[in-house]
Amino acid sequence: MLILGIETATQQVSVAIGGHEGVLGMFEVSRGRRHAETLIPAVEFLCAQADVQIDEFGAIAVDIGPGLFTGMRVGLAAGKAMAQALRIPMIGISSLDLLAFPLRHADRTIAAVIDARKGELFYAFYKPVPGGVQRVTEPVVGRAADLAADLMARGQNVVCVGDGALRYREEIAGGAACDFAEQFLAHPSAAPLVQLAHARALREEWVNPWEIQPLYLRAPDAQINWSTRESAR
Amino acid sequence: MLHLRARSLADTHAIAAALAAVSRRGDLIVLAGEMGAGKTAFAKGFGQALGVTEPITSPTFTLVHSYDTPGKLTLHHADIYRLSTQHEVADLALAELLEYDGIVLLEWGDVVARSLGEHLLVQLDADPDDEDARDITLSGSGRAWAERWSRIEAATEEYAC
Repeated sequence: MLILGIETATQQVSVAIGGHEGVLGMFEVSRGRRHAETLIPAVEFLCAQADVQIDEFGAIAVDIGPGLFTGMRVGLAAGKAMAQALRIPMIGISSLDLLAFPLRHADRTIAAVIDARKGELFYAFYKPVPGGVQRVTEPVVGRAADLAADLMARGQNVVCVGDGALRYREEIAGGAACDFAEQFLAHPSAAPLVQLAHARALREEWVNPWEIQPLYLRAPDAQINWSTRESAR
Repeated sequence: MLHLRARSLADTHAIAAALAAVSRRGDLIVLAGEMGAGKTAFAKGFGQALGVTEPITSPTFTLVHSYDTPGKLTLHHADIYRLSTQHEVADLALAELLEYDGIVLLEWGDVVARSLGEHLLVQLDADPDDEDARDITLSGSGRAWAERWSRIEAATEEYAC
């Protein structure tokens, strides 16, 4: 089965086609930041170059975050629309899982860290297990100082990966024993996305397009208090 | 806090242009005032001063309109009038728009001011006795505006009251 992977959780746009033999093709660009203008042409280009017709896909995999709203909504909306039109299921995978997965041979704890903007980070810890990585903490949103404190409390030698880790490298490293993964691993990529999704597809662990939800890490919702303006509404 | 008096639509545009001249990447400007107070008119004057050539229209139904400027900045004009929850406001991702070389003008943003961080509040009030005139009150929150306050005062001096 062929799977189309769509990854837009950070400023990067990444799309890949995967099958039982692995990743067949991938397109990735992190300098542009107009996800809406890049994503569909990237899918078209990739399909044309890999000689894949769009109706050959058996599932669509998307990164469900946590990530930046401006990118996430483009990737999720495009993935849902294509899956509904093609009548195929979807597979959602967390951005932090995708960051940690390429470091599965690291043989130590991995901190996956995404830049959430406004001085905040999305992060979670992982440990390598045979065939992949296992998340050992709930994903949280916090500041660099919070992550630095978590690292110190763990007292382990940790490898940090992600654009958030690199942006706040000095604050995070202060006092804790940690290394930082390379910049080319700093954005979640559609290559591990289709690889992980393929394993799930074999187990038929998928969802309907209308059921897939982004993973938001934010305060509980509240009504806007419009009564503060007497004549509003 | 700065109290200004616009005697005409042209004055409102001129005050908006004066603020546009001191604005920079990452600025959030909240436009407050009742229906017809001139929030969108202010946005037009502001955008034209930044060199936006497209027509600037009300974003009430489309939530956010984005305009390119010749100076590489993007002007985002948003309106939360139709929104009812904090999560809907969060979905606009204003902080991300600001970080991407953006300036955001946010209509009705005063009702969610506490969740916004540093911003300039532009309060527009119609005058019941003079349909062309507006009272415009500026107040800044945060250091980014405090350090520019004397320039804002100087740039709007002729409209002070």
